[in-house]
Amino acid sequence: MAAACATLTKAAPPADGHPASADTADELEYAFNRLFVGPGAVPAPPYASVYLDPDHGLMGESTRIAAAVYDALGVSSPSNGRLPDDHLALELDAAVVFHALKAREQSAELAALWDYFLRDHLMLWVPLFLACIKQVPDVPPAISHVASLLSAWLSEECGAKPVTHVPPCIN
Amino acid sequence: MSKITKQEIERILENPVSRRSFLGGLLATGALVVLPGCRLLRPGTVDMGQVWEGGYQTFRNACSRNCYDTCSIVSYVKNGVLKFVEGAPESSFTAGGLCVKGNSYVRRVYSPDRIKYPMEQQGRGTGKWKRLSWDEAMDKIARKILEIKARDGSLLGLALSKYSGSFGITHYGVEGMMSSLGYTTRLVGTPCWPAGMDAQNFDMGNMLCNDPEDLPLARYVIVWGANPAWCSVHSMKFLYAAQEAGAKLVVVDPVFTQTAAKADEYVQVRTGEDGALALGMCRHILDRGLYDKEWVAAHSIGFDEFAAYLREHVTIDWAAQKSGVPASHIAAIAEEFAQARPATIWIGYGMQRHVNGGASVRILDALVAMTGNIGKPGGGARYAQMQTWGFNYHAKNQKQPEGSKGWIGASGPKGEFDFSGVKENVKYADRTININKTAQEILDTKDPQVRMLWVACKNILSQDFDRPKMLKAFNKLEMVVVADQFFNQTVEQADIVLPVTTFFEEWNINASYWHYWLSLNEQAVKPLHEAKSDIEIAAALSKRMNELAPGSCTFPTTVDTKDWTAQEFNKKELDLFGISSWEELRKGPVKAKLTSSAPWSDGVFATPSKKYEFHSDLCAKNGHDALVMYKEGRPAYDKLRLLTPHSKFAINSQFQNLDWMADFNSEPYVYIHPRTAALRGIGHGDAVRVFNKVGEVRLAAQLTADVPPDTLLMYEGWYKGLAFNCQNLVDDVSSDMGSFKTGAPGVAIHDQFADVVRA
Repeated sequence: MAAACATLTKAAPPADGHPASADTADELEYAFNRLFVGPGAVPAPPYASVYLDPDHGLMGESTRIAAAVYDALGVSSPSNGRLPDDHLALELDAAVVFHALKAREQSAELAALWDYFLRDHLMLWVPLFLACIKQVPDVPPAISHVASLLSAWLSEECGAKPVTHVPPCIN
Repeated sequence: MSKITKQEIERILENPVSRRSFLGGLLATGALVVLPGCRLLRPGTVDMGQVWEGGYQTFRNACSRNCYDTCSIVSYVKNGVLKFVEGAPESSFTAGGLCVKGNSYVRRVYSPDRIKYPMEQQGRGTGKWKRLSWDEAMDKIARKILEIKARDGSLLGLALSKYSGSFGITHYGVEGMMSSLGYTTRLVGTPCWPAGMDAQNFDMGNMLCNDPEDLPLARYVIVWGANPAWCSVHSMKFLYAAQEAGAKLVVVDPVFTQTAAKADEYVQVRTGEDGALALGMCRHILDRGLYDKEWVAAHSIGFDEFAAYLREHVTIDWAAQKSGVPASHIAAIAEEFAQARPATIWIGYGMQRHVNGGASVRILDALVAMTGNIGKPGGGARYAQMQTWGFNYHAKNQKQPEGSKGWIGASGPKGEFDFSGVKENVKYADRTININKTAQEILDTKDPQVRMLWVACKNILSQDFDRPKMLKAFNKLEMVVVADQFFNQTVEQADIVLPVTTFFEEWNINASYWHYWLSLNEQAVKPLHEAKSDIEIAAALSKRMNELAPGSCTFPTTVDTKDWTAQEFNKKELDLFGISSWEELRKGPVKAKLTSSAPWSDGVFATPSKKYEFHSDLCAKNGHDALVMYKEGRPAYDKLRLLTPHSKFAINSQFQNLDWMADFNSEPYVYIHPRTAALRGIGHGDAVRVFNKVGEVRLAAQLTADVPPDTLLMYEGWYKGLAFNCQNLVDDVSSDMGSFKTGAPGVAIHDQFADVVRA
């Protein structure tokens, strides 16, 4: 986690231009956990099903769709079902797999599957997730920065302008 | 090639064969061997669970909450995911239905709010949490335990607070974990039912109750201080059946409850004066000669003394004045009760949470006994039973490491589930302190002080008494470890939190303290996140303890919840339920083979005299009156009575945090009689401040004549994200009884007082 925080702080230079101190790395970790991890109820759960499924719980149909997409790609999560398959980290990892495969081969099936995963899955929930982050006060700049990178990346993938219309937060 | 549609993609994804061949040629080129940048997903496929076309796998589960009903559950799982639950049809008690809470279980397992990982807080209450691996968490805890042992020469500085958050039998492995570390300090007793438990033990020699399924045989039923319409919904069908067969259902309660609304007659008793009301009935029955002369002569001792007491000290007018129930009404229900055969009283736990609670239960017992209704199907002084709990307590019974030092002196019992009784002549023992005075005990305990607290199956900052004092006590603790499923108010004050499994994620076995069914709990789904069962946590801790200090913990370092469940059974328990192997429970719950639905049907009691004891020397030996008699209640310490009973949407602090509950019950209220509110200028929905010597609570008021004019009522519970906590108004004064069977007296939860103003 500390290593991940260090990466995050590097990714987003602090506004005042000073390098991140150990204190800010800790504060970033606390803020990250408050937003996404717990132990308290988090304002922006990083799971697709929370946004897409009618019950807003974990392990819903969207979780199963994510797992099926990984299965079609020939990859799987090593968590053995403990980490729901529609966790954002796994889905972004799947995007990396898609891009690696697309770079090597032309395949209509691959393109269709990516298009489905992007437009009928990621695009349906990640903007909602990002909207939830936006509603939280005092999000550290590093996290806001990464969130905006994610938003920009999604828009780019869709061949559209950056997402400006922010849907309402479901939480 | 035409564009592949969304529908086609979804159809392909649904089927493992089609989706794995969809990109077939592409994947065969070995493109996946090198995945630059990909850090989490791995090449290869996993079994996504059995696909049951349109069908479900079913599992046997058992609701492990501290509830009368302890429901037998059938859970429906598809592709490894729990989809829905329903009551087991095999149990004639559960009878295929669950309650509002039980039906929400899927929401609990898959709540995004669950605690997912071991975490450490940098300063209690700061909200500054860091994730820990299980290894890191166990290392920190083990090192602290070893440091305490090195400093004090014993582990008495390590205390356990554990109660009824999960009643699955292997959860007694938490107590086992403590024993496996050494002699520790245990918070013993119970806030629930101990005064009544002692009372029934003094009167009859044990706490046994009629099978609730024989209620339809009753011709007259008094539900006294219980609210089964909310707290034992499965019992209601038996009460209705009794009514349909012609029985009268009377509810005695200070509050007009949902059960009272279903009754034929409601008796509004002044809170804590149940004993006076029942004594008035006894006196009237005596005067009219309506008691069962043959039964009391043959099967009881002390009745003449009791009769003399009634004649000398009790009049129906005195009872009316004390209880607030008109004399004519007392006389009428007394006559009806005495003349109906059989007649029964359901003695609720609420009515014994008083400084005179045990004495009052003894009086209610006496009323049932003198009318000859003990030992009769459809009769009985129904309180609770534990005769179906004859497990091995394999998880609980662990040995201290060689050379452990501990408390010098007698010990026990450590709670109602400690069947080993008082142990004299042991070299060392655990140190026991009163669970109902947790805050005060932590503040007062010395030599050594309580340095570290392990909390399991309990939310002490929501449920234990005098919260302001509890926060002070926490300041004295060097480390607090909490194992839980949700971020409740105790977790807020923890140093380390450990995620525990729901019962759908582990094996267990459950019995009820009310009905006579036994239910297996199968693991229906794999544990989510990094949750471990309580015994798996104990094993992980033992592993690290032994790495750091070989021999410092005797708990096995690997456990399997299924094996440990199997080891809880013995021949006597299996015989009681008429099964030859625990595996038979996989086919469904089974009921104990009772010779009669009524305990004591042979008229032989488990008391020293083998008779029902209106006069109990054992009771006197334990510091109470030998004779059943009136005991004064607690003098008021503020203007209004404060009641904090159970909500319909929660079991103590569980369930209310779930979204389905919040949909129907989004915030706590204080319920005030309109007259009382008017005197204070309080309107319906107004924000108010309820306050007393303990502290204060701010919330909205609801006006209702369902509560008496001298009473404020708020339902206890923990609301997600709200600071509400009724323990800011409840002190830790003891009830009269409880020490005999549970090691500490109960607590007078309903002997509280407060005032209210507009906020």
